[in-house]
Amino acid sequence: MSSIKEKFNQISPSEFFYSNRDLAGFSNPTRSLYTAVREFVENALDACDQKGILPDVYLTIKAVDPDKPDPKPYILTVKDNGPGIDAEHIPLAFGTVLYGSKFGLKQARGMFGLGATMAILYGQITTNKPVTVKSSSDAKIQNQFEILLDIQKNKPVIVKHTTKEVSKTGLTVSICLEGDYSKAGNKIRDYVYETSLITPYASITFDDPKDQKFSHPRFVKEIPPPPTIIRPHPHGIDVERIRRMIVESQFEIPTIDDAMIEKIRKDLGLSVKNFSFTSIMDKAKKKWKTLPRQVRVVISLMSFLKMDFEKLNKIRIEDIDMPNKKLSYWDFGDSQSKSVDMDPESEYYKQLTNTVQGEPLTTFLTKRFQRIGPTTAVKFAEFAKFKPEKRMGTLTNQELVNLSDALQKFEDFMAPDSSCLAPLGAEPLEKGIKKFFNPDFVAVVQRPASAYSGFPFIIEMGIAYGGDIKSGGPHVYRYANRIPLLYDEGSDVVLKVVNDTDWGRYKIKGEPPFIIVSHICSTRIPYKTAGKENVADRQEIERELRLALQFLSRKLSSFMSKRGQAEMAKKRANLYAKYIPMIAEFCTELSGKKKEPNYKKMLETEIASENKKAKEEENQIENN
Amino acid sequence: MKTTKKEQENKIKSRSKKADDKQKLILEILKTHGAKIYDDLENGKFPKFSIPSRSVSNIVYDKQLRQYILGNNSALRSSRNSAQLRSFTQLMWLAFFANRLTTERKSSTLRDIYYSSQAFAVEFEDQSESDNIIVDLEAVTSRPREDFHIFPEERSSIFGDLNIEYTIPGYEGKTMNLANHPDGYSIGPSLTTAELVSTSAEIVIAIEKGGLFTRFVEEQVDKKFKSIIINTGGQAPRSTRTLLKRLHDEMKLPVICLTDGDVYGEHIAMVIKSGSANAAHLRDLTVPDAKWVGVWATDIEKYKLPTIPMTESDIKRCYDLQKDPRYQDGIWKKELDVFLKLKRKAELEAFSKYGLTNITDKYLPQKLELAKSL
Ligand SMILES: Nc1ncnc2c1ncn2[C@@H]1O[C@H](COP(=O)(O)OP(=O)(O)O)[C@@H](O)[C@H]1O
Ligand SMILES: [Mg+2]
Repeated sequence: MSSIKEKFNQISPSEFFYSNRDLAGFSNPTRSLYTAVREFVENALDACDQKGILPDVYLTIKAVDPDKPDPKPYILTVKDNGPGIDAEHIPLAFGTVLYGSKFGLKQARGMFGLGATMAILYGQITTNKPVTVKSSSDAKIQNQFEILLDIQKNKPVIVKHTTKEVSKTGLTVSICLEGDYSKAGNKIRDYVYETSLITPYASITFDDPKDQKFSHPRFVKEIPPPPTIIRPHPHGIDVERIRRMIVESQFEIPTIDDAMIEKIRKDLGLSVKNFSFTSIMDKAKKKWKTLPRQVRVVISLMSFLKMDFEKLNKIRIEDIDMPNKKLSYWDFGDSQSKSVDMDPESEYYKQLTNTVQGEPLTTFLTKRFQRIGPTTAVKFAEFAKFKPEKRMGTLTNQELVNLSDALQKFEDFMAPDSSCLAPLGAEPLEKGIKKFFNPDFVAVVQRPASAYSGFPFIIEMGIAYGGDIKSGGPHVYRYANRIPLLYDEGSDVVLKVVNDTDWGRYKIKGEPPFIIVSHICSTRIPYKTAGKENVADRQEIERELRLALQFLSRKLSSFMSKRGQAEMAKKRANLYAKYIPMIAEFCTELSGKKKEPNYKKMLETEIASENKKAKEEENQIENN
Repeated sequence: MKTTKKEQENKIKSRSKKADDKQKLILEILKTHGAKIYDDLENGKFPKFSIPSRSVSNIVYDKQLRQYILGNNSALRSSRNSAQLRSFTQLMWLAFFANRLTTERKSSTLRDIYYSSQAFAVEFEDQSESDNIIVDLEAVTSRPREDFHIFPEERSSIFGDLNIEYTIPGYEGKTMNLANHPDGYSIGPSLTTAELVSTSAEIVIAIEKGGLFTRFVEEQVDKKFKSIIINTGGQAPRSTRTLLKRLHDEMKLPVICLTDGDVYGEHIAMVIKSGSANAAHLRDLTVPDAKWVGVWATDIEKYKLPTIPMTESDIKRCYDLQKDPRYQDGIWKKELDVFLKLKRKAELEAFSKYGLTNITDKYLPQKLELAKSL
């Protein structure tokens, strides 16, 4: 079985991504400037989210030479008040591709340890300047690095490293890159603006190349509950992933060196004098349950070899042949291969079986996946036509594929756990919409968690009408995992769902002033491209989007008819006020009277009652 | 016969009293309606009134009256109903304005009304809207607009030995003989409201076309046939129909109609005789005894008149009229059927083929003779 590490060494990932940078959103100076901003801002927000810190993010973009025409070099700096990174990890995090801390299964903006490095890479390629990272993770020392990337080797080259005393944690990253602000400016400003809508608990400031400052202070003081890291769902898994999990679950035969021997002695609590084969085995038997796995494996081997450490040091284990119950080793002293039989009934035999052949299928399922109990595991084994005790390490390639297929097809697994998701929450979303658009009507909904292909997701959606919203709606604000999506609108599933809606049915006609805010949260957003701009139309996601939009549209529709009634009542009051006095004037002369009839009181009562009706309808609208 | 000065004065007095009475009556009608609205408001109620429905389903033919009338359906107009409030106010204004016109004996045209409204901040979208409100006033009061001194723009004319006496302000008591001016007198507000004093004529000839009217004056048809000649100018305006009725009722003159030999001509005569569905809400606009003497479809053959083919719309009009209850018998039905059979028509001028005076020398005397037996 070839390991993952080996694969990476064949082609440098940096090289790979260099030649595929278009996919990651670095296709031209305009797009690249925008994408670089996104990657750094999103990293800052991710870092703060993870530690529950209310984010303060400062973004600056300054031209190196303001008089040059675009495209030209810019210095892009993003500073945050997050947890920072330990000095030792900084070069790796910013100088290698696929290094990241967000691989665990939970919702985050970044995903593959890719974004920051791609931006740095792009900067380096276009301006030949190193990235500067200043970070403090202890609020005492700030480490400042200047790093270049070695693209061939996927390795950071530290150009400069200094330290400084500080009083706050946080990280500042700064790169020099070729960009076109005159073209990208609009999108970047939109991005910052829209980000602050979906991240109401963050303060974001943007200082642009023309020295304009855009400041979006936080208007929500609580951070939404952070997501928890969870184990994968069987539906969201493929052959490659299973292979990796098996490797992780298997335990290599430990090398028996001095350090290991010393560890075993300490774990068993034996003195150096009393460290004989029999005393080791006696003690181990008593303490077996408390011993770490490594120790148990070594002792199991000893039990069959019947050797103490002195002897053990002179051999090398060659093969543990479980089916034939033979343990073979190379004896350095005799320079020949020897073997002993293993007693299948012994405890030690079982221990070795686990190590060498991996866990039984049912254990593998219950231990490494979310929400699978022993009963389901057995039922699944039957469904997949595997023995429940089948050892994972003994699966052939074909069996692996069969297992993977069966995991996809088995329908009795529980729905994916959604505790790994971090939706914003209906309340902050509504607050944001109100603050941004000052609308006459707003409604928000958070759908219950659902899943596609084993990945849980939650749809949050808001709809707002009138107020500061410009006409010609619906204007759609798309978000995924708290990232605004601004490019490639045409092919997005959210827009598809919005465009399919017959607004006339909801009493929304003409060029209505209304917006829709859609937020998809998932451990894996099915982006159409690595540029993370549009979401593919997965049936389950589309369905949830539709349900959310229908729910909100109905609310808007009842607002519209109430508003219609309120408007009618107001209009009636106005009509009475205008025409009744005229009628009074005409009929006075017509009937030959001198004095106008006493209609004022009647008119006032009627107008007051119509206005009250209008008020009531309006209040009802507000309360909804 | 000589009349004494005293007698003359008494006559004038009684005539102007008649005009005064009519004015009083109209003002009284308006006042009654106004007072009802006033009382409603005074009592803290939203004023309302009912108005006969003029929808097609409520227009029925009355065999006895021999005209179209409105049925019993009526609609309530309430000032509380915001959809009706505007037209309610418009109608109130119109009544108010008609009251002023009648009091001051001033006349106005339909177009005047449209513009006058603007001085009182009563908006009409366009003239057709104000025209409609005028019909509403007619329907509510069962009085033609002319009674409120509101006249259409179109004019027709009259010629013949008829003495009239004006009642309009500034001309009260003045008399006029309508044979003094050979172009004829236009039938406007002053003539419509004038007293008809005396005449030597024995018949009224209503003719469809201005050209023939002039010919008839030139040929002295008024003297030769002791007649008053009226040019209806196509479909006769209401004031002309009122005058025709008065000539018939007050001066006891028979009325005959002479039109083009086509379906439209036939219907011009019919409207003089029994009104139009459009004016079903009004009485006193019809001359049930009026007679259509030609040009008939059967005349086309009989007088060998040059013809022109009927158009599509002529033919369609024939079929429409076949459904009208008034075209179910007599010459009305007979001639309509022949028009449809011939699918050709002849104008009054067609007689010129046989000489310009052929129509007055030959055709007219025969028709007058025939009229006696109709
Ligand atoms: N502002 C920051 N504060 C703390 N840690 C950061 C910051 N930016 C990046 N990191 C760390 O560096 C890693 C690599 O970042 P990146 O290349 O953007 O990958 P990703 O965001 O996909 O994980 C992150 O996973 C995170 O651990
Ligand atoms: Mg990132």
